[in-house]
Amino acid sequence: MRDIFLDLSIRSVKLNFLRSLLACIGIVIGVVAISSMGMLGANMQLSVKEQLSANVNTVMISSDVVRTTTTAGTATTSQGITKSQLMDIRNAAGQNEVIPFHRTSTQFTIGSTDGRGGIYGMDPNDISKFLTLDEGDNMRGANDALVGSTIASNFNLKIGSRIKIGQKDEPSRPVVRVSGILAARGFASDGINTDNAIIVPDTWYTDHYGDKDVYGQVNVIVKNVDTISDVEAAIDDKVNRKTQVIRIQDASSRLTSITATLGTITTFILAIGGISLVVAAVSIFNVMMMSVNERVQEIGILLSIGTEKGEVRRMFLYEAFILGIIGAGFGGICSLVIGYSVVSAMIGNTAYFFLPDSIMYVPYGMIIGIVVCVVSGLYPAWKASNMDPIDALRSE
Amino acid sequence: MDCSKAEEEMSLPAMGDTPLIQLKDVSKVYPLESGDFTALDHVSLDIDENEFVAIMGPSGSGKSTIMNQIGILDVPTTGKLFIDGKNVASMTNLERTHMRRDIIGYIFQKFYLIPLLSAYENVEYPLILKYKQRDNTGKAAAVLKSVGFDEAMSAHRPNQLSGGQQQRVAIARALVNEPKILLCDEPTGNLDRKTGFQIMDILIGLHKEGKTVILVTHDPKIAEYAHRTITLEDGRIVES
Repeated sequence: MRDIFLDLSIRSVKLNFLRSLLACIGIVIGVVAISSMGMLGANMQLSVKEQLSANVNTVMISSDVVRTTTTAGTATTSQGITKSQLMDIRNAAGQNEVIPFHRTSTQFTIGSTDGRGGIYGMDPNDISKFLTLDEGDNMRGANDALVGSTIASNFNLKIGSRIKIGQKDEPSRPVVRVSGILAARGFASDGINTDNAIIVPDTWYTDHYGDKDVYGQVNVIVKNVDTISDVEAAIDDKVNRKTQVIRIQDASSRLTSITATLGTITTFILAIGGISLVVAAVSIFNVMMMSVNERVQEIGILLSIGTEKGEVRRMFLYEAFILGIIGAGFGGICSLVIGYSVVSAMIGNTAYFFLPDSIMYVPYGMIIGIVVCVVSGLYPAWKASNMDPIDALRSE
Repeated sequence: MDCSKAEEEMSLPAMGDTPLIQLKDVSKVYPLESGDFTALDHVSLDIDENEFVAIMGPSGSGKSTIMNQIGILDVPTTGKLFIDGKNVASMTNLERTHMRRDIIGYIFQKFYLIPLLSAYENVEYPLILKYKQRDNTGKAAAVLKSVGFDEAMSAHRPNQLSGGQQQRVAIARALVNEPKILLCDEPTGNLDRKTGFQIMDILIGLHKEGKTVILVTHDPKIAEYAHRTITLEDGRIVES
């Protein structure tokens, strides 16, 4: 048989149905906010993680000196990875693929439309080692270029289209011809984000930007991912002999830092969701105080005929718990529907929605909602149990 | 204070002639902004087991205060109060709560039934408090029947019952834990004369069964049922 104090609490909730319902709605909103935001963050992390994991076998090497780049035609003065360092890297990397490349950003004009994007200079022979062509062919001529999928679709580029590279006010701008369009890569963890970029032969790049034999970055694609640490150590030993001149990273360290950042963002948006739970807590507190104030005489009766203070406290905590259970229950159901819609609308991919890392935010939100309710009921319950029975009996 | 004296302070020796209720020079003073108000002024009183005592007096004479003291709802400001041989002032809050539950039955003028519980549940409630479980012995129903309550009304909430029915439920609730003392605060005050006498008949029956009945009333006719009448005025006993 059920605890009589639980029965009393259930009956009190039923008696004040509308008031209890409104308080529950506050909890529903709070639970939905926390769960949906949590799921959004988790789906964002999972989605980015998968994209980044694709290049987990790539070691990225850059100069430890900050580089500055200039527009076409102006030589850079900053330091990158030199030819001798590249040689050392090749030696240390052994059989693994070594891909040096130049990189800057540039303005360009296609027809009469101006745009801005990245420009990479790399050996055409390296393209097939890590990039996929959607259309056309690799660069053959000195003025051939490959374009990323975003640029191609935004500017309606076709094989043979011409792109003027450089700022609009420059008197004569070099022109490249589109020989191929690359498949979409998304956010690549190897530092080569080609979707909004133009890729030109390294000779073209150094002819126009300088930097001959000085590379912005060198990637090493490791054949056996288990040996990545050994390869990194070998390169480090070889190149950073005396002083730290190059920085060696791999996708996993970048992945860690990006997921940590996304984790921080998730926590932040969860905290924003949490604000609505604070509001709900105030509402529950208010409802519980009203319940105590309306039942003063009843509390007086209970205390005077031998009810222990702890039992009176329990009765009011049950009431808060019931409100929490109802609010969290409905909140959990609504979270699934609203969370799914939010993830679908904002990430465009719900493949990860039902994974434990994402869906766990529903029970988390529900538990937090119930805990918030019970905590909000602590003071009213304490107040009720500490009433003077004589004063309480006299109240009307 | 040595141990033996401390024990003496805690309780009276359990002798056959020890009163069930003993007030020794008890005063109750309420501090008010306008000055202290003395509700009970050096009252000494003994009530033996199986007595039927009526307490009378005008409004503000201290009737309710003395009932609150005997009912262990309050403690004296000065003086000593012994209930069933135990010094109330030296008991913990929880011990006082258990004493209220186990040896005192309260019957109030306004009935004070728990509005969210049915008539049966109101009677069952003290049993649950005592045994921490629902009554499966049928005791609550039996007691309710013994006070003449219509069984068919057991599931009704207090607001669905007449005054007489409510008071019968209140008496059943007071009796269900088999208390030694029945404290009745104007038990007929909210009832018509006929129902009032019916309730008094129940109380007389309970007294005959061995209960100690203490009754506060304004009505001399009701007070006539008691074997002893104590009259209070300005917090003092003027007639006993």
